[in-house]
Amino acid sequence: MSLFSALSVGASGMAAQRARAELLVENMANAETTRTPEGGPYRRKDVVFESGSVESPFSPVFQSQLDAPVGVTVSDVITDASEPERRYMPGHPDADKDGYVAFPKMNPAEDMVDLMGSARTYEANVAAIGAVKDMIQRSIDLLH
Amino acid sequence: MIDRLSGQLERYLDLLSARQKLVASNIANADTPGYHTQDIDFQSEFRNAATGTPNVLEVAGLAMKNDGNNVSLDRESRLLAENALRFNAATGLLRSQISSVRAAIKEGQGS
Repeated sequence: MSLFSALSVGASGMAAQRARAELLVENMANAETTRTPEGGPYRRKDVVFESGSVESPFSPVFQSQLDAPVGVTVSDVITDASEPERRYMPGHPDADKDGYVAFPKMNPAEDMVDLMGSARTYEANVAAIGAVKDMIQRSIDLLH
Repeated sequence: MIDRLSGQLERYLDLLSARQKLVASNIANADTPGYHTQDIDFQSEFRNAATGTPNVLEVAGLAMKNDGNNVSLDRESRLLAENALRFNAATGLLRSQISSVRAAIKEGQGS
């Protein structure tokens, strides 16, 4: 069952990177958002990754605890708590009494670089799944 | 097991898939803070005839990043390709072993 669990590990990596990419895109889309349901400007979000065993449809029956594969999961989503950036825009509907508007503290370059890193790691996981899938196929071909 | 060589090939394939699983884990955890690269000592595991789950070791001598993670994607992609190629070679050999046994059976039926 070893190789099949490697597929689950690759899939866990893909899911984790996808979750990270979704948050990064959300951050960039909301770079100028001044209103949120919680009040105040949008706050940057990021994921925390944690390594842990992955679930497989057959885990209780076929997998012993000893060779549980080590995948990755999103253990937490953290929200940036730093002070928002204040810009002087007196005509803005969300301006305070001094004419300042609180904007999300965002560095588009940082998010863009993280997004590229996320996409590359996603690709690496896809390549890993492809290689493992090929190995499984070769093993099955032994029967022909 | 057909003969001694097939047994060795079987062990080789087992070890390769165990190693590939660790490579997949390392790639999946490429961004996990504090994760350390894992591998098996392939040569000594292969020489060690006792079949069973191989010992998992942490790889030494890799550059540690600021978040305590030392996964090198270059190393892992090299190993990924290498394991897949070795696996292909070994299954090819095992295939020819099986086909010669099958040929022997077929010839026996033919007479």
